[in-house]
Amino acid sequence: MAHGLDIRRSSASVWGSLSGMRSTPTVSKYIDTTTCIGCKACEVACQEWNDLKPVATQQVGTYQTLPTLDPGYWNLIRFNERDFDGGIVWLMRKDQCMHCDEPGCLAACPAPGAIVQYDNGIVDVNPDQCIGCKYCETGCPFDVPRFSQTTGKMAKCTLCVDRVSVGLEPACVKSCPTGCLHFGTKDDMVALGHTRVAQLKQNGFAQAVLYDPQGVGGTSVVTVLGHGDHPEWYGLPADPRVPLLVKVWKNVLRPLGVVAIFGAVIGAFGHFMNHGRKGVKGSDDHDVNLPDA
Amino acid sequence: MSAVKPAPPLDPAVEVARVKEDVAVGNEIVRHKLSSRVIHWVVAATFFLCLFTGMPIWTPVFGWMAHFFGGLSVCRVVHPWIGLAFFASSAVMMVDWHAQMTLDRSQKGWWGPRLLRYLKWELEDENVGKYNEGQKFYFWTVGLGALGVIASGLIMWFPAWFPAIVRQLAFVLHDVTFILFAVAVVFHIYLSTSAEPGTFGSMTRGTVTRKWARLHHPRWYREVTGEDPRRR
Repeated sequence: MAHGLDIRRSSASVWGSLSGMRSTPTVSKYIDTTTCIGCKACEVACQEWNDLKPVATQQVGTYQTLPTLDPGYWNLIRFNERDFDGGIVWLMRKDQCMHCDEPGCLAACPAPGAIVQYDNGIVDVNPDQCIGCKYCETGCPFDVPRFSQTTGKMAKCTLCVDRVSVGLEPACVKSCPTGCLHFGTKDDMVALGHTRVAQLKQNGFAQAVLYDPQGVGGTSVVTVLGHGDHPEWYGLPADPRVPLLVKVWKNVLRPLGVVAIFGAVIGAFGHFMNHGRKGVKGSDDHDVNLPDA
Repeated sequence: MSAVKPAPPLDPAVEVARVKEDVAVGNEIVRHKLSSRVIHWVVAATFFLCLFTGMPIWTPVFGWMAHFFGGLSVCRVVHPWIGLAFFASSAVMMVDWHAQMTLDRSQKGWWGPRLLRYLKWELEDENVGKYNEGQKFYFWTVGLGALGVIASGLIMWFPAWFPAIVRQLAFVLHDVTFILFAVAVVFHIYLSTSAEPGTFGSMTRGTVTRKWARLHHPRWYREVTGEDPRRR
């Protein structure tokens, strides 16, 4: 949790803490998968800065550190292998929280204030409020939040909000030796992405795109994909959205249920006022309600 | 040596109600024996603990309930375990009671105008046995509801074992089941307490009065006492 940042959205709450007295530009991380060399410096920097305990690596037949994200490993370079004209190509992708503009984890979270979206777009877990119910796992379209058995709480990339809030770039960006990671305002990063995509298109990557999925309102991690027609090659969903059933559950069933439960109580009361006790009114058996009759 | 006062003799109806039911004792009829009453209250207690620990997790509208248990994280930890107890006790209840709860084919149409007339206290049916069709339907609703909440609840408890779509469906199923359950329970409590006086005692003391039995369950009255429920 970072202090000093206004909160745009807060889980299980009606509103955040936006005062409207200042405006904060939405920030974004920029990832260029075409210039990533898989050096894993960002993985180390993430562990270092966030003071995460070392996680035992697992050999899964590639150079990838772990098969998937871990509560103690928030930043993972995925070494996706692809056959092109007889040669293997690595489609490196930096897997971490995408910091959606419309976060599914926040929508699913039942604990007030356990997941917040700061005014600058960063989505963060507040361990003080997290109850470890894992609902966010189901809400997230990118399969990012992880439950820690050690702490009983969820953990994920914070976009180094503690660094960002004091004017520093995230640790991963700081460490990247090839310049495939950048950090700045969302507008600047999108502009940078479009420039790079145009360059790629001129150099044989006709399908290159800037991955900024609009189904979740855009993300505060924009990714240049050389093969933009196949985001699934990188392990990215083609059109990520907050799951429809999660929206139905939170936005339809919940209010309907509250109305139904209060309605039942009011209905029972109304029935009592209209019809009274069975066997008392309109019956010649007046004392039927007396247990000792 | 001080003399120990002998305990006063128990009310014969209460004594009978420990082991037997469907027996007339004096002016009372034993409706639920002790074991039936115990299982009912175990199901009820675990249900309400589940309800009150689940509702604050369900929506912040009921967030205040969490304070009675020590906060939302306590609710989150105990809710699934009490849920297991609720399911286990419901299962025992279903096995114990199901034979009495077979829906009566001759009572078809109970859910249309007959239910409305019942709720207006206008339905006079000589053929209502120990349980009317509404009570039987409620029993099966509880059984199905218990299955629905345990199945979806286990998926929500251990989401890592299930694919995303199954988890999402579980959330919806858990909500739908619990909402229907809560609404049904409101009417169950209303009908068995203030709306139909004399009913509550059947689940505490175990007995009802003969007059109560004649009014609500005439065929059962005839079966138990051999008397004509229309004659007073």
